[in-house]
Amino acid sequence: MRNPQLAWYVAGPLLGLCVIAVRLLFNARLGVTGGYSEIVDRVRHRSLVFDWRAWLLIGVLIGGTIFALAAGGPDFHGYGWLTRDVGDVWVAPILVVSGVLIGYGAKLAGGCTSGNGLSGTSLLSPASLAATATFFATAIAVNFITKALF
Amino acid sequence: MRPRLAGLGVGIVFGVVLSWSGMTAPDVIRSALLFEDSYLFLFFASAVATASIGLLLLRRAGRVAWTPARIERRHVTGSLIFGLGWGVSNACPGPIMTQIGQGIVWGVPLLAGVLSGVYLFVRRGEETEPASDPAPLRRDRAVAGAA
Repeated sequence: MRNPQLAWYVAGPLLGLCVIAVRLLFNARLGVTGGYSEIVDRVRHRSLVFDWRAWLLIGVLIGGTIFALAAGGPDFHGYGWLTRDVGDVWVAPILVVSGVLIGYGAKLAGGCTSGNGLSGTSLLSPASLAATATFFATAIAVNFITKALF
Repeated sequence: MRPRLAGLGVGIVFGVVLSWSGMTAPDVIRSALLFEDSYLFLFFASAVATASIGLLLLRRAGRVAWTPARIERRHVTGSLIFGLGWGVSNACPGPIMTQIGQGIVWGVPLLAGVLSGVYLFVRRGEETEPASDPAPLRRDRAVAGAA
């Protein structure tokens, strides 16, 4: 079954309300990378007592599961251009390396698409605006390059 | 317990919206970044606009406050590194979690990578988050501001 895509003018404001809720609840930015960071840091110190950032991340996972149960699972097979245009055996290693770049880069930049992109940009933070412009430009360039090469 | 429950609740809404908007699918992200589809940009812009208007109104009411961060080199270099990974995988930290939640096995190597990348950084013991509000105003200061 092909999942219906929620209209952007509903989905976008809902995401914006999540950002506002986190500011009101915790006086903080909504940043998904913060959840990964919290889990890695706690486990590193042999603890499983996580703060709200980790629980938000767990919530995102549960949200994915709830959607899959309600809408009938993902509407795609394989993994985009990687499984279409690159040899199957390379996909998992490429995804691991991509993940390392995503995790390390987001920590260095102090946020990912949610922390800098959504939350920081909506605060008109110069650092987040620079970060957001940079990662959008980079990802756009990478997609055009990979499209030309493969 | 309550802050964790509240975080979990916001996360669930966030995860359902990310899934419902198709962000879990790498092809949705790729078609946007190749300018073949405008959904991602409209979605993103309307999210930022909603959050921005809401936060500015709340700030005027004295309910919230923040100090915008100045640009440092790491914001650009970090985002360059992040953008490379995002551009190749067409997945970012939120959608990677919804992939796992939806039972997409490709999310597993991505998750392993993200956790390793975060570990490589946090073992240095530096804290970089949050970039945009390094001196958050606490509730008592917000109350003082309103008085």
